[in-house]
Amino acid sequence: MRDIWIIMKFTIKDMVKRKSFIISTLVILAFIVIGFNIPNIISWFGNDNIKSKILVVDNDNIFEGSLDSLNNMDINYEVTLNNLELANVKEKIENGDYDSALYITKEDNNIKIDYIIPEVSVLDSIPSDLVSILETLYKNVQIAKLNLTTAELQSISPNFEYSLVGISEEAAGNVIVMMLLSIVLFYAIYFCAYQVSSSITIEKTSKIIETLVTSTSPKNIVLGKTLGIGLVGMLQMILIVGTALISANIFMSPEILSMVLDVSNITLGLGIITVMYFVLGYLTYALIYAVTGSTVSKPEDVQSANGPVAILSVGAFYLSYFTMMNPSGNLNVFASLFPLSSPFCMPFRVMMGLATTTDVLLSMVILIISILLIAKVAIKIYSNAILNYGTKLSFKDLISIYKEKNK
Amino acid sequence: MSLVLKNVSKKFGRKTVVDNLSLTLDKPGVYGLLGTNGAGKTTTIRMLLGIIKKDSGEITWNGEPVDRKKVNFGYLPEERGVYPKVKIIDQLKYFAELKGIASEVAEKQIYKWAKILKVEEYLDMPAEKLSKGNQQKVQFMTAILHDPELVVLDEPFSGLDPVNTDILKHIIIDLVKNGKYIIMSAHQMVTIEEFCSDILILDKGITVLQGNLKEIKNSYPANRVLISTDENIDKYIEKLNLEIENVKNNEYVVKIDNEEIANKLLNLIVKDGININKFEIMKPSLNDIFIEKVGD
Repeated sequence: MRDIWIIMKFTIKDMVKRKSFIISTLVILAFIVIGFNIPNIISWFGNDNIKSKILVVDNDNIFEGSLDSLNNMDINYEVTLNNLELANVKEKIENGDYDSALYITKEDNNIKIDYIIPEVSVLDSIPSDLVSILETLYKNVQIAKLNLTTAELQSISPNFEYSLVGISEEAAGNVIVMMLLSIVLFYAIYFCAYQVSSSITIEKTSKIIETLVTSTSPKNIVLGKTLGIGLVGMLQMILIVGTALISANIFMSPEILSMVLDVSNITLGLGIITVMYFVLGYLTYALIYAVTGSTVSKPEDVQSANGPVAILSVGAFYLSYFTMMNPSGNLNVFASLFPLSSPFCMPFRVMMGLATTTDVLLSMVILIISILLIAKVAIKIYSNAILNYGTKLSFKDLISIYKEKNK
Repeated sequence: MSLVLKNVSKKFGRKTVVDNLSLTLDKPGVYGLLGTNGAGKTTTIRMLLGIIKKDSGEITWNGEPVDRKKVNFGYLPEERGVYPKVKIIDQLKYFAELKGIASEVAEKQIYKWAKILKVEEYLDMPAEKLSKGNQQKVQFMTAILHDPELVVLDEPFSGLDPVNTDILKHIIIDLVKNGKYIIMSAHQMVTIEEFCSDILILDKGITVLQGNLKEIKNSYPANRVLISTDENIDKYIEKLNLEIENVKNNEYVVKIDNEEIANKLLNLIVKDGININKFEIMKPSLNDIFIEKVGD
């Protein structure tokens, strides 16, 4: 136990002192803070923008002077009213005096509005905000002539309020939160577990392992290292998720936030369950990675040795991710119990209210038993493979090592 | 105290790597393990330390099976290794702590040995910034920091320059003076001859020669004579049908079958009034014995 503690302490110190670790964590945190500030950043830039200069020409006074009010409106245009011939208008735009112009004329009963810009590309169209403002202005001028009462006016143009209503509003919020959390969990588990593999390979390829195995048992090395990396990974994940939640609350307006996420769903209970599944999921994958890390002799072989585990973990993740679309289906129930996918799936079912306490306990028991079995096999294979400096061990070799050890 | 290996064998697959090896180290000193590459030296050492399991035989320290938890041993592996990114002092403390030494005690020991091995200035550097020789000295420190009773050194001098070789030699001599039991494997016969009281030569896992080094050397008859003179003595050598092994700066090394023929040669030369500066009848060196035993 003392040795596991010493190895864990050393692993943690080694990880958090590394420049690459500090920089990557700071970069991720910076991205999160910046990400949640994107609406603010856009609006800052928006405010600083010089308003687009537009020339509005109504030679026939079709709008009956109401266009003057354009300058009092909160729109992104600096409006200049003038009476000019079309050719002159075009000339002014060509000279760069204005960015665009609206040339208003009347043909029979139709009001014709030309939106004039220097060059027309496929993507250009008449700005919809201008269209609606002009239509409203004209309508108001005409309605004013009818001398209607306030009540009559309101009945003609009531305020329309549009909103999107799902049958179960809360569940929709949950799905987005949980899918996000599922992705975060997957990446956290995957990258932390991968670290175990590369850390073991470094010890093997730098030949330090021989000194290490005479100082403590292989079991202590695997467990100390796994726990140390896991603890750092968990703290990193808590730091990232925490920063994201705090940033969301501080920097995003509540309206926008409620459109994207339903923060009220992120409860302490869900936090605890998520952390527990992170720990168990991490242990499952870290121990598998301990085996692959111990089978290679050259750092460049790590990736190819880890390939099958990567496929396995991505497969398990997709199994839970895609079955979330149909959470009441049998496949999602299976994904929540199968030890390789349950860490990504069960927190989701808990939040959806689809999993009972018994389901959670059953899934955890299955996971813990799997971890113990994987640990037993992993430590045995690791103990023998770690001193094999020859070529990369094949799956067949690993089975024979395990069998030999079990004799 | 004594270290005993009795009829120890190991097979990898069908290949016997160590066959029925026995040795006893029952007083402080250095026991030399010799052999060509792949002879089974490192496997023997790994079995001795419990890194790999032996197939058969017994390995005991004071009559008890050698176990990491029970025997205080230090080990310098043949495969040198340090954590490249970790500060030297941190890795030394780490290994000392794993050997059960308290952090403060470990620090004192680290500074003491760093001074002796002349690596004090590197203690706060990551290992990757050190030369290979200095990394090796750091690793040697991990083998002795915890004051072990039994020290196992696998090729301790390979890769060291003469200055560092000398430093290490003095430390090994001091360790023996302080009552340590040392098992050392080496390729350089000169170092083995300097330190080892007993030796064991392995060839493809089989023990081809074993015993007290002095006794082994004494058991071999003289096979060469060295004559240093200012004149040419070729004709005397030819007269006795002897073969010159080497001539350098008027120093002749002549192969002989026995000491009598050497004396005969000396008489012939002296009779003609030739001045002789040095005359030495030589026994085979350990190098000669080694080549004779394991050379194809």
